[in-house]
Amino acid sequence: MNRLRFAAWRLFFMLVSLWAIASLTFLLVAILPSNPAVAIAGPYATPEQVTQVENDLGLHDPLAQRYFEFLGRTLRGDLGTSLYDGTSINHEIAQLIPSTFELIIASLIIAVPLGIGLGALGAYFHRKFADRASSLVVGVLQSIPDFVLAVVLIYVFSAVLGIAPGPEGQLSIISVPPPRVTGMIAVDAILTGKPAVISDALSHLALPALTLGLVIAAVFARISRASLREALESDQTKFARASGLPEWRVVQYAFLTSRTPVLTYGAIIFGALFGGTAIVETIFNWNGLSQWSVTSMLRTDYPAIQGFVLVAGAITLVVFALLDVLAGFLDPRVRAQ
Amino acid sequence: MATPIVIEEAATPAARTRRHSRFTDYVGVAAGTAPIVLLLLASFFLPLPYSPTQPDPAAVTLPPGPQHWFGTDGSGFDVLSRTIASAQVDLPVAFGGALLSLIIGVPLGLLASSDRWFAHLIMRATDVLQSLPLLIVTVAVVSLAGNSIGNVIFGIVLVGAPGFIRLVRSGAIVVRSSRYVDAAIAMGCSPLRVLRVHVFPNIFSIALVQFTLATSTAIIVIAGLNFLGIGTAAPTPSWGVMIRSGADVIGQGYWWVATFPSLAVVLVVVSLNFVSRSLDDLVAGR
Repeated sequence: MNRLRFAAWRLFFMLVSLWAIASLTFLLVAILPSNPAVAIAGPYATPEQVTQVENDLGLHDPLAQRYFEFLGRTLRGDLGTSLYDGTSINHEIAQLIPSTFELIIASLIIAVPLGIGLGALGAYFHRKFADRASSLVVGVLQSIPDFVLAVVLIYVFSAVLGIAPGPEGQLSIISVPPPRVTGMIAVDAILTGKPAVISDALSHLALPALTLGLVIAAVFARISRASLREALESDQTKFARASGLPEWRVVQYAFLTSRTPVLTYGAIIFGALFGGTAIVETIFNWNGLSQWSVTSMLRTDYPAIQGFVLVAGAITLVVFALLDVLAGFLDPRVRAQ
Repeated sequence: MATPIVIEEAATPAARTRRHSRFTDYVGVAAGTAPIVLLLLASFFLPLPYSPTQPDPAAVTLPPGPQHWFGTDGSGFDVLSRTIASAQVDLPVAFGGALLSLIIGVPLGLLASSDRWFAHLIMRATDVLQSLPLLIVTVAVVSLAGNSIGNVIFGIVLVGAPGFIRLVRSGAIVVRSSRYVDAAIAMGCSPLRVLRVHVFPNIFSIALVQFTLATSTAIIVIAGLNFLGIGTAAPTPSWGVMIRSGADVIGQGYWWVATFPSLAVVLVVVSLNFVSRSLDDLVAGR
């Protein structure tokens, strides 16, 4: 397959998956036994009022009709309004998504070099001391759930050492939030240039980003160790060594062959991050999309839940597709499959 | 980590060199299983020093001492009693969820190893499922369908089954290309009989290793759900709820409330990962 046909095929599959995700989020609410009308009408509503709300919501319409109305609405990009406070879900998500991205990007900045570094150490010094040490670090990181790690980091850096702020969100109460440019508070602070706000925002970002970053670094380390090990053991590497290339050149070539699996799993990790941020955002009172979605779930605010799953699934699928296309451009073997 | 990430590691027994005897592996499996069995037995049969469901309002946030070995939390619960009692619910639910993932995932993985239309369907559906933030979907399912153990188990299966499907499929594809499967087909075995009699016994070890990993993921998912306030109802002790209540007061220096349930989670997860590694070596060293 040539590059363009591969990209086109991948995009087509992405669209089909998007449709599947939209249908799943519809089914999630249509099939599960909770009645949104009861949630809207409130605990003191009479049965007549509940029936009235059910009629308003169209819950008595045939399932197929509701499904196509839902699909039509979603296609127009309208995610509905919150049952809790009547705000537009689109607006709500647009407001909150930058701070979740801020957290994800910051944790990837920590995780990618650390994880690939640990993995490369393990692969290059296979079964030697450095490999054992890096495997131990990775094994420990993998056995610690993110919420435990967060609690440990808060205790050590905030309660004992006092060098990081406690779990109080993106800024201290006394800091004035910078004017909204991108919605990522640390970035906005840098763009609008207030030194005090910049350091406050960055110090609040440090612990949540470190928590997520360490957790994902362990995954990156395992993948890059396995794939770099394979590349270093290949005939190609033996040939490079036999040709008398300098060692750094040999490692560089091995790195190039090992990048495809690392990229592919990077996409999977990105998808999993939306789940991972839910817990980290909740602990650190980070005012982001995942924390909002958990709050919405506790309120059984079903349009908000649908909107979140839809947006998170869509973003993940787009990232999957982009990285696949990228991997296809970098590595012809992917296109051949 | 509550991010359930499934990593497919290629099963390449040939690439492994045997470093140690099978005996070491059996010891490893036993050593990893022991803490979990002991914890489970203790939670059911050990007489606890204090009631895990009745707080003592006179003993709030006491540090660890001779009276309360692990201290007490903000409501006056004894942390030691609750940490042990939590195993009663958390462990069986995790094992149940992982077992159901195996029961659903293995047949689907076997079916997906063929190249018929349903194989593609199963794999594409797995792709879509894995592109969703599964922890969030689990939270959504449990909060919408109601806080019951059945729904928590359903959520665990949603997170766990895709891993079984992928691993069993890649294992089964390798087995299918072997001579004895060709021979069985040549002798007129039906495709289902080939799967059941010839492929299934040879991939079961892969599924068993995955089962221990799925259980350890399930422990983390359950604790994560409880941590977010979903799953177990208030007086029932669970590690996630305990860690949450500890996380809320850790800024004031009450480290013991969150530490001991966290250690319990880490102990169980490390033990299970240890069992899975030893099992994996055992399988690969055949």
